[in-house]
Amino acid sequence: MPPVYDPDAARAEFRAGLRDITPLSLGVALYGLAFGLLAAQVGIKAPLTALMGLTVFAGSSQIVAVERLAAGAGMSVAILAGLALNLRLLLMTASLRDELAGRPLWQIMLGVHLTSDENWGLMHATRCRGGRAGYWYLVGGGTSLIAVWAGATMLGTGFAGLLPDLAAIGLDFAFTAAFILLLRNLWRGPGDLAPWALSAGTTLSVAVLLPVEPSWALIVGGLAGAALAAGRGAAHG
Amino acid sequence: MADPLLVTAGLALGTFAIRLGGYLLGGALPATGPWARGLNALPGCLIAALLAVLLVQAGPAEWGAAALCAVVAVLTRSLPLTMLVGIGAVWLARTLI
Repeated sequence: MPPVYDPDAARAEFRAGLRDITPLSLGVALYGLAFGLLAAQVGIKAPLTALMGLTVFAGSSQIVAVERLAAGAGMSVAILAGLALNLRLLLMTASLRDELAGRPLWQIMLGVHLTSDENWGLMHATRCRGGRAGYWYLVGGGTSLIAVWAGATMLGTGFAGLLPDLAAIGLDFAFTAAFILLLRNLWRGPGDLAPWALSAGTTLSVAVLLPVEPSWALIVGGLAGAALAAGRGAAHG
Repeated sequence: MADPLLVTAGLALGTFAIRLGGYLLGGALPATGPWARGLNALPGCLIAALLAVLLVQAGPAEWGAAALCAVVAVLTRSLPLTMLVGIGAVWLARTLI
């Protein structure tokens, strides 16, 4: 695919990616507004929220890191909790070898930076249906997502100043609700139950028994659950 | 108080390193096997743990709203709907309790 460069085909694919991602971008917009509200609670201003959206571009990790800051966690553990959630991106960009092969460095850096759950998943879904979806399709979807994400989070942060008290209207619960949906979307089958339960149980035990910040407990619990998932699969072949 | 700019820088650099690292490691990263299973399972485990922490620190109003959210999430898989139901339910419960 990459060796012969056809600008018309690349543009068509970019536009298709931009168009097909729209329903997913709408969901990201709402998530972004809610993240903006949370960011405002810990004193982050609108321009920094936009900068964060553009440079990090990994919604759930930004939410976890800022949520941890709001809960009073230190800086390093907030960053670490966010990054732990992003480790799955390793596998996603590793799977892009064919799309990125032979491309100039700027295209490789752009491609990996714009890789997110939504456009990566959409690229595979479109291919499964027999559509043409390669590098520029991924970049097209990512362009829409990053613009919507940065814009919506900035808007949410600006908007937060107009609201009287977030807790009084239940908005502080927005993230718990969003995490419940996220968990539902991550559910692949009953095999997930034991790792998730172990992770939650370990986190709560560590948080109660050891004098550490709950965020460290979170990382320990998450790793314990992931280790169980890694080992259990081996036992079942 | 943590500096949000430093948190942004840390997250941005770390996340880009992960993304570029995946590409550079490429074939060296196993697509199947224990490591792949562990990395794939990590997000769900972290979110489950985070929900446990959030809910343990909360009260009956949040527990009820969370249960309602779980039902809506399972039935609709809709993010906007789950968030709206959650916010509405917790507001109502706090007003009544």
